[in-house]
Amino acid sequence: MKIIIVGAGEVGYHIAQKLSEENQDVFLIDKDPEKIKRITDNLDVQAILGSGTSPEMLKTSGVREADMLVAATDSDEVNLFACLLAKILNPVILKVARVRSQEYLREKELFGQDLLAIDQIINPESVMVETIRNLMMVPGASDVIDFVDGRVKLIGITVKPDSPYAGRQLLSFKGMEGKVLVGAIVRGDHVFIPHGEDTIHANDLVYLVVRADELPSEFGFFNLNDREIRRVIIIGAGETGTALAQALDQTKLHVKIIDKDTQKCAALAEKLERVIVINGDGTDKTLLQEENVNDVDFMVAVTGDEESNVLISLLAKGLGAKKNITRINKLSYIPLVSAIGIDTVVSSRLSAIRAILQYIRQGKIISVAPLKGEHAEAIEAEALETSDIVNQPLSKVKFPKGALVGAVVRGEEIIIARGDTVIRPKDRLIIFALQKVVPKLEKLLTVKLDYF
Amino acid sequence: MHVQRVLRFIGILIFFLGASMAVPLLVSLVYKDGSTGALFYAMLITSGFGLLLFFATRRPSDTYLSHRDGVAIVTLGWLAAGLVGAIPFLLSGSIIHFTDAYFESISGFTTTGASILSDIENLPQGVLMWRSITQWFGGMGIIVLSIAILPFLGVGGMQLYKAEIPSPVVDKLKPRISDTAKTLWRVYISITALEILLLFGGGMPFFEAVCHTFCTMPTGGFSPKNASIAHYNSPYFDGVIILFMLLAGINFSLHYKLIKGDLRIFAKDPECRFFLTLVGIFVVVVTLNIHGTVYDSLGKAFRYAFFQVSSIITTTGFVTADYDKWPSFSQNLLLLCMFLGGMAGSTGGGMKTMRIMLLAKHAYQEIFRIIHPHAVTTVKLGGKAVPSDILSSIWGFFALYLGLFVVSALIMASLGLDLISAFASVAACIFNVGPGLGLVGPVSNYLTVPITGKWVLIFCMLLGRLEIYTVIVLLIPEYWRK
Repeated sequence: MKIIIVGAGEVGYHIAQKLSEENQDVFLIDKDPEKIKRITDNLDVQAILGSGTSPEMLKTSGVREADMLVAATDSDEVNLFACLLAKILNPVILKVARVRSQEYLREKELFGQDLLAIDQIINPESVMVETIRNLMMVPGASDVIDFVDGRVKLIGITVKPDSPYAGRQLLSFKGMEGKVLVGAIVRGDHVFIPHGEDTIHANDLVYLVVRADELPSEFGFFNLNDREIRRVIIIGAGETGTALAQALDQTKLHVKIIDKDTQKCAALAEKLERVIVINGDGTDKTLLQEENVNDVDFMVAVTGDEESNVLISLLAKGLGAKKNITRINKLSYIPLVSAIGIDTVVSSRLSAIRAILQYIRQGKIISVAPLKGEHAEAIEAEALETSDIVNQPLSKVKFPKGALVGAVVRGEEIIIARGDTVIRPKDRLIIFALQKVVPKLEKLLTVKLDYF
Repeated sequence: MHVQRVLRFIGILIFFLGASMAVPLLVSLVYKDGSTGALFYAMLITSGFGLLLFFATRRPSDTYLSHRDGVAIVTLGWLAAGLVGAIPFLLSGSIIHFTDAYFESISGFTTTGASILSDIENLPQGVLMWRSITQWFGGMGIIVLSIAILPFLGVGGMQLYKAEIPSPVVDKLKPRISDTAKTLWRVYISITALEILLLFGGGMPFFEAVCHTFCTMPTGGFSPKNASIAHYNSPYFDGVIILFMLLAGINFSLHYKLIKGDLRIFAKDPECRFFLTLVGIFVVVVTLNIHGTVYDSLGKAFRYAFFQVSSIITTTGFVTADYDKWPSFSQNLLLLCMFLGGMAGSTGGGMKTMRIMLLAKHAYQEIFRIIHPHAVTTVKLGGKAVPSDILSSIWGFFALYLGLFVVSALIMASLGLDLISAFASVAACIFNVGPGLGLVGPVSNYLTVPITGKWVLIFCMLLGRLEIYTVIVLLIPEYWRK
């Protein structure tokens, strides 16, 4: 597949990296010579210096033969205009645009068939707000990913050293077979798809597949803090903070939002009903104590400044906040901050990357989510009749090493996979796979290997 | 530097070279030239050595290669290729001394074409074939070939590609580096096939047509004939070889675009225009210079001038006339041609036309600034601004080139070579031409150069082919610091 990406910022860079690792033909356009140099040095893609909104540039990058255009710059206007140009130059090209402004998003006609005809709009802020809300639903988790419209959840849990599960072999969880499945384990920088003989260690990040309706009953099993959350403090009333506050406004949670900017606070106070708006510095210890940070279940630090977010979260944790969610932009910081005691990280860029990648996958793959650590993915895919995986027990299917079926969705029924589960055509599968076996897996899912 | 990764890659490279010895082996079987056993053992030893390196090193967990690794793989890979390339010469008894065999082999891979052999026609056909194959591989690059063949390189391939490709800027034809390498090799193979067809069709024996083509396309210059192309004394062969030498001196990306249907690409590309104009001017000037003084007929003068200028400026080094006997003005002009070389991204050696153009433009810009001290100017090539870091890297390249040239020529002179021979031998090797002037002129060879001199020249050939930086960086202590 030939894909043109406009914008070589962090989002564009990571999407290009992922796609080039999967042997797609990627063209990346950016105006900044420095960025282009970095891309040429590090990625196996065609980097083109120029503006993504220049018709000439788009033509040189071969927009006429391309299958897809991903507009991922930081500017909505550039992204939308690039899509418009792409539509004019190549009416059949698929267009994915990253759009952040809520105002644009409200104008539904703008993106419709008559005008821009954008196939997929990615709004990282709303994806991130969704992620944060998901995390709040499963308070013990450090990562939650929805599949099949939220009916299957992928929960990432960090195993505490005092957890009874640390040091146990997966085989020993006999009673859980068919209810919960460990799909991937992240240990330090290393991700692997576990076997029965593998052991869970302390500080591992364990990814579990569960049915959404069984969530509450599984909590006890995994020693999650299932106390219902009540109090939330949001620091930072930017796009994300505001959107989150508005979303939580309708719930029965006690929410406070803190921001330094008086005007922002005033504007926010007008919009919100129940949420308490506080004007002050989120890094101010006295202020946090005043607002009873020690009783807070969730501390969400989503200011625009990632360093402040880390400090706020650490401070709040020291003052007694139970859990924190920290917004980080630089993806390279993510492994670092978990090491210093940040519970959970969200990143608008990671969200955008996830959302765009979910859309890009070809064939019958419905959606994809990169797991933390980036080297593994959870893939939602449909089982084709022609594929080799159908109509035999899973234990007999020749999956590539490093891939594992987590759950099978058949109509209304959700089956957490076991060795004797048989996949039928049209089933939706949730598969864990290491990044490097994804191309093999794609092949397995689409074509039957014929031996003449 | 990741030693294991570097050695492992070189192991694969050597194994490939060993496997490719099957071709000369086949030739020797057909001609029953008596070198079959030697070539068979050479193939066994080489591939065995490659496999040994491969299996003795740990499998890396990913395909990551740093810039440093890339440089090490390319330089050490070329050195190793020279080593195993010498085995067939030694085992078959064609060349007795190791230094001579290594010189011949490196001269082959670097497409220099400087030879220590005086009686080439007496060599077994299998060995002659191998000699041509080393040039053919070296032309487009053994590393680029492995990038095209090995599927697992990924981004690492980019580091290798940059270290081997003879151009100040990296021009990717396809988004993925392995596709780019494949495309280049496809173009290279197609043009090679065409030349074999034209030479064979014109009456050259098939074996010789293949050997000559394998040495034209990489602008190498080895010939299975003692008298090189002069052996045939045929205007048709001269014409065909001139055409293909010039094609080989042109950037292969342009050939690709030409095949893709852009018929005016040679006229559109500023570097190509400049290159062809230079060739035209030199041919006219040399023709006028040698007409009357050496040759009586204008036609003959033109034919030899055209061939010799094309052969030297593309750094091929085929010979149809003993230009050692030409007037010194023409000789000087040919020396200048050696220095200029072919286009960036071609298989030619020398400074490369693109660098010359950019240096000239940059120099003019500096003069312009004296007139308009506040003018804002950029150096442009084909309407596109050239980043200043590329310009400064070219100046660095230029300085290193001259510096190394002068030092090497000094060493050669200290070994007892006369002034002309000392300079010409270094020029012929560092610019990958092959035949020089004087002692190492078109009708003599490098056999008489002292052993130390041969090693200096081996080093020069590598410097020239890998464009200095890649080789010289390994000699800098900073490179080895952790």
